[in-house]
Amino acid sequence: MEALGITLQQLLTQLVSFLILFFLLYKLAYGPIMGMLDSRAQKIKESLEAAETARLEAASSAEKVEAEIAEARVEGQKIVAEARDAAAKLRDQEQERAREEVETMLERARAEIGREKDSAVEEVRKEFASLAITAAERIVEGSLDPKSHSSLIDKVLEEGLSERKN
Amino acid sequence: MGKLLSSPKILVIAIAAVALLLVSVAGGALGASFGLGFLGGPIPFISIPAERVAFIGSYPLLNSTIMFWFGGLILIFIAWRAGRNVTDVPSGWQNFMEMIYDFFNNTVDGVAGGTPKAGRRFLALVSTIFMVVVIINWVGILPGVGSVGRIETIEEWVHHHIEDLEAAEHEKHPEYNDTQVHQLALIHLLEEHGDDTFVAFDGMFVPLGQGEQARVPLKHIVTFTDDELHHLADEVKHGEDISHDPVFERIEHDIHEGVVKEAFTYDAGGSSETDYNFTGQTAGLLVPYLRGASTDINTTLAIAIVAMFTVQIWGFRALGVRGYGGKFLVNPISQGPIATFVGVLEGFGELTRTISFTFRLFGNMFAGEILLIAMAFLLPLVGIIPFMGLELFVGVIQAYIFAMLTLVFGVMAVASHGDHDSHAEDH
Repeated sequence: MEALGITLQQLLTQLVSFLILFFLLYKLAYGPIMGMLDSRAQKIKESLEAAETARLEAASSAEKVEAEIAEARVEGQKIVAEARDAAAKLRDQEQERAREEVETMLERARAEIGREKDSAVEEVRKEFASLAITAAERIVEGSLDPKSHSSLIDKVLEEGLSERKN
Repeated sequence: MGKLLSSPKILVIAIAAVALLLVSVAGGALGASFGLGFLGGPIPFISIPAERVAFIGSYPLLNSTIMFWFGGLILIFIAWRAGRNVTDVPSGWQNFMEMIYDFFNNTVDGVAGGTPKAGRRFLALVSTIFMVVVIINWVGILPGVGSVGRIETIEEWVHHHIEDLEAAEHEKHPEYNDTQVHQLALIHLLEEHGDDTFVAFDGMFVPLGQGEQARVPLKHIVTFTDDELHHLADEVKHGEDISHDPVFERIEHDIHEGVVKEAFTYDAGGSSETDYNFTGQTAGLLVPYLRGASTDINTTLAIAIVAMFTVQIWGFRALGVRGYGGKFLVNPISQGPIATFVGVLEGFGELTRTISFTFRLFGNMFAGEILLIAMAFLLPLVGIIPFMGLELFVGVIQAYIFAMLTLVFGVMAVASHGDHDSHAEDH
């Protein structure tokens, strides 16, 4: 022991020195740094988990959005189809009504024209009758009584008109 | 090669290196045998015990203790810088310490079972042992450690060595008084150590150029003859007071003066004999102010004791007093005498582990120190450079071995007996 230099005094000195050194290193570096390493590992684990959840959430919400879009598309198509139908129907109705209107207008016009024609014909007939009478008067010079012969003239005109009509 | 040497810069460096090597060889031990050796000094006295350099009160301060504290202070400084405000994004020293702790964290977990935090209980001690041993190994090979010191004069040397002899003499002849004991012890000291050699210092420097073997024997510093010593011893034994005897007074005077008294011829054990004349130079031993802490067996033993003591604590805490104690104390009746014997062997194993810890580290670092000294004599200036690198490497390796063995012993201690057996079968 003496030859190797082992003495209790020095052994205790080194022992106590080492223990103090151990204590100080534990307090100064080991504690804070291992705490930091552990908390960092925990943080990393948590953020990985959070990222995973976020990823899953994003995936599921994307799916949801997709489904909604599909639904909306279908609905939109339905609406468009409906609108097209409605428009077609409306157009048809409108066309129908227009045609009807046109027809009534035509009817009315035709009726008007008929009336106009009748009244014109009547007028012409009257004119013709008086002209014929005048002409006949001229020809026969008084041999004709307008009163007694007018019925004859009417009859002639009637016949003439019906011939034209046919 | 030719292409390399065509660059003037490299050529100059190469020539300088070769010249340095030649100077080194010529100035070293090899050159000394051709009468050169101008850089060789005397081989220093290699002392296994660490040397005292000062007294604090009555406490002797060893040079190795100073280096232990110095290394410890460096470590504390690094730890303080690293741990004073730890942040999630590490920087500087925190990075450095985190690297070490993280490395050992993974290692202890791996050795202790592979799951995270399996080896956490071992981590603090294992990493601390590694860092402490590395730092004391490394500061121990700094230049100036072991080569800068104080001259221990002959008077001090005698004072240190006479105490044991006085104690022995006192035991042998309790009837003698203190003066007689002292005088007899001194005479014995001279008889025993007359051929011990000392360095003849050149002022405050170790002398260079006299060859590495040029050391002065004690009998050329303190002049006496064997007859004179015998005569003095007889006189003391007859109860005569020799304090005023001229021979004894001369011896005491020479010890006090501590200078080389006469020229002498050094016989190198062959044909060559060299005359040395150091007359008038102070003789003594170099006591280094600083010495690597791991080259002092007290340090390595202290760390080994802490390691093995903690291993026992781990064992008891993991397995309980019965469980862990049962590894060493086995009932010979229920378990059989062989198991008891194995248990006792295990107990001795813990002791031998402590001792092997101690001597592995001490031996490696002490040998490294001597290697550096030897290289400084064989190839002064350059020889030490590659071995400095080697010693840095050895310093880390030894620290790692110390830490890993502590870990392995700890893991073995906390393994229950069944686990231990199944592991043994695995291998």
